Amino acid sequence: MDFLEYIRLVFTDYTLRTITLGTAILGAVTGMLGSFAVLRKQSLLGDAISHAALPGIAIAFLITGTKDSNVLLLGALISGLIGTFWIRGIITKTHLKSDTALGLILSLFFGFGMLLLTFIQKQPNANQAGLDKYLFGQAATLLESDVWMMATVTGICLIILLLFWKEFKMLLFDADFTKTLGFNTKAIDILITSFIVLAIVLGLQTVGVVLMSAMLLAPAAAARQWTNSLGKMVFLAAIFGALSGVFGTAVSATQNNLSTGPVIVIIASVFVLVSFVFSPSRGLLFKQIRFIKNRRDLKLNKTLAFMYGIAETHENISHPHTVKILNNFQGFTKGTLQKLVHKNYVTLEGNMWSLTKKGFQAASNLYNQQNDDE
Amino acid sequence: MMSSAQIEIQLIASLAAIACAIPGTFLVLRKMAMISDAISHSILPGIVIGFFITHDLNSPLLILLAAATGIITVILVEYIQKTGLVKEDTAIGLVFPALFSIGVILIAKNANDVHLDVDAVLLGELAFAPFDRFIISDIDLGPKSLWVIGSILIVTIGLLFAFFKELKVSTFDAGLAASLGFSPAIMHYGLMSIASVTTVGAFDAVGAILVVALMIAPAATAYLLTNNLKRMLLYAIGFGVFCAISGYWVAHWLDASIAGSITTMLGIIFLLVYLFAPNKGIIAVLYREKQQRTEVSLLTFLLHLKNHNEEEERHVNHLNEHINWQKVRSKTVLELALKNNMIVVDNNIVSLTEKGNDFTSQAIDYIITNEDAEIEHMKDDFFLFRG
Repeated sequence: MDFLEYIRLVFTDYTLRTITLGTAILGAVTGMLGSFAVLRKQSLLGDAISHAALPGIAIAFLITGTKDSNVLLLGALISGLIGTFWIRGIITKTHLKSDTALGLILSLFFGFGMLLLTFIQKQPNANQAGLDKYLFGQAATLLESDVWMMATVTGICLIILLLFWKEFKMLLFDADFTKTLGFNTKAIDILITSFIVLAIVLGLQTVGVVLMSAMLLAPAAAARQWTNSLGKMVFLAAIFGALSGVFGTAVSATQNNLSTGPVIVIIASVFVLVSFVFSPSRGLLFKQIRFIKNRRDLKLNKTLAFMYGIAETHENISHPHTVKILNNFQGFTKGTLQKLVHKNYVTLEGNMWSLTKKGFQAASNLYNQQNDDE
Repeated sequence: MMSSAQIEIQLIASLAAIACAIPGTFLVLRKMAMISDAISHSILPGIVIGFFITHDLNSPLLILLAAATGIITVILVEYIQKTGLVKEDTAIGLVFPALFSIGVILIAKNANDVHLDVDAVLLGELAFAPFDRFIISDIDLGPKSLWVIGSILIVTIGLLFAFFKELKVSTFDAGLAASLGFSPAIMHYGLMSIASVTTVGAFDAVGAILVVALMIAPAATAYLLTNNLKRMLLYAIGFGVFCAISGYWVAHWLDASIAGSITTMLGIIFLLVYLFAPNKGIIAVLYREKQQRTEVSLLTFLLHLKNHNEEEERHVNHLNEHINWQKVRSKTVLELALKNNMIVVDNNIVSLTEKGNDFTSQAIDYIITNEDAEIEHMKDDFFLFRG
């Protein structure tokens, strides 16, 4: 299947359109809420919640006997919320630390969920096939109604976010201040956490329990590198999430035998990698370049200062000296000398250098004021 | 009667529980529990690649390869964290899903060559472990997994005894350990290597998630019961083995996943200890908080009495409305004060006794200086009501 044909299919084929739309919306909403999770240092909460949702799915199936995804996701939501609040209880009431609490709830709930799933599988009359799609996600099973459901939840999320934007933002950056202003921080906290749980639960069908946490983190972590403003970060994270969803679906739809979840996660990870390396202000590449540039400037200044030290001892500051005496000085390279000539600080004649007036001026002010000729 | 396969399964599960509990205890104490979760997921590509090469899930080479992936995860997480671009927990959350996804995709793309089932990786196939025998020149030496997990356990125990002191110091006081000449980095990576190898060795039998549960849950449960490292290790091992065996029988009874039911047993034990542990359990904590509230109320009450010499300020009815407590609470506080001879009630007028007066001045001293030493000796002086 070539690229153009795929694009055509996205618009004409019902299944492909549904899946693409579904994963895009999912990516957007998890990216949005994930920004809060990342900034609140609750990155791994998503991992714990998504695992903790599994027994809810199994119990909902055991009770109702249907495979209707809305019912199962309601079960997942309840058990995810129980997991979240239990984690909180462990952290606040005992001396166990947050990492232990997360790991505990994650593994214990998941193990219990697997117990129930295998128990269901052994039941003779259960139409159980398809429950394990919640492990790794099968976007192919998305129906139009599921997409509507996602869109509705995303809409509600968006409204709540806009309504309580100020409160969320303030709680995020200065919880104590928010409290002193008389806001009910506990309620705001519960509200945002519940929405994070909701977003995770929505993604279970598409991405699966195991990899859902990456959906939450990766777009947000990528977006964080490009901006320092919360609004822009949330917006960017939503875009990154949606793009990961669309590309991930495209790749997994054109290959046999690939679950959507892992592919979307890989694509999202690529976004993160690119952002880590190429972001202009925080990225590793530009950081390295800045580092090297600073070191060069420093060396240049060192050479200039050294020359100044020599020139100072002569009456005529432009008295020529041989290049050789610079050699035992660390900051000196041919490059820096050329640069100094280029800046008109130094003139070169054969093997001799001499400081110009301008160079002398600059060197004497080297430690007095900032160089603003850059 | 138990069949020999049943005994072997329980033996493998118990050995895995012990092998996990030992590094798990240190991970919990070092606040690195989530690293074990990350390792258990990210070893998947290592296992798949190892499987391409060896075609045997129990081969030592595969275990080493997979354990190396675990170490790579740790290094990667630390590298990302060091760049300062994201926080540590985000770094963990980014690295392991990516590696796990690569593993899943590798399996999916080579489904014909790899007889590896992702469900099996997550869950393990403990029930089938006894069928993969270790046979040398026609002599049956027992299940392979038993040998694998047994050797890992022996190495772990050997290292634990050899480096117990170093581990202990570096866990509780990394600075002291470094100044005594134990490199914290060696300790850290040593522990991570053991955790990786154990995870890989145990995953075949019990699955990736149960490994995490076996590492964290027994240690966390033990931590709620004791602060002594040696006891914590012993308790953790005890809980692990108990849950391994009881979990097996639950699975037998329900005809469900053994790994799942062992985890469920671990969960039940943790829940019980979480609720009922003396001192650190939820009920004990809530009770203590309630008691502390009463103590604070009593102090407030006594301070009020000390500040007011006027009789009308010290009338029972007035006190009731002035401090604005509910009836039950005021009554508790009043009785407590009476019982401790802090006050006398005469004609509905409450006044401080000499002892109460003394106590209150000391309490004010404590509040002003806020030194712990003062309140400790106060408790002795006045036979306060705690304990």
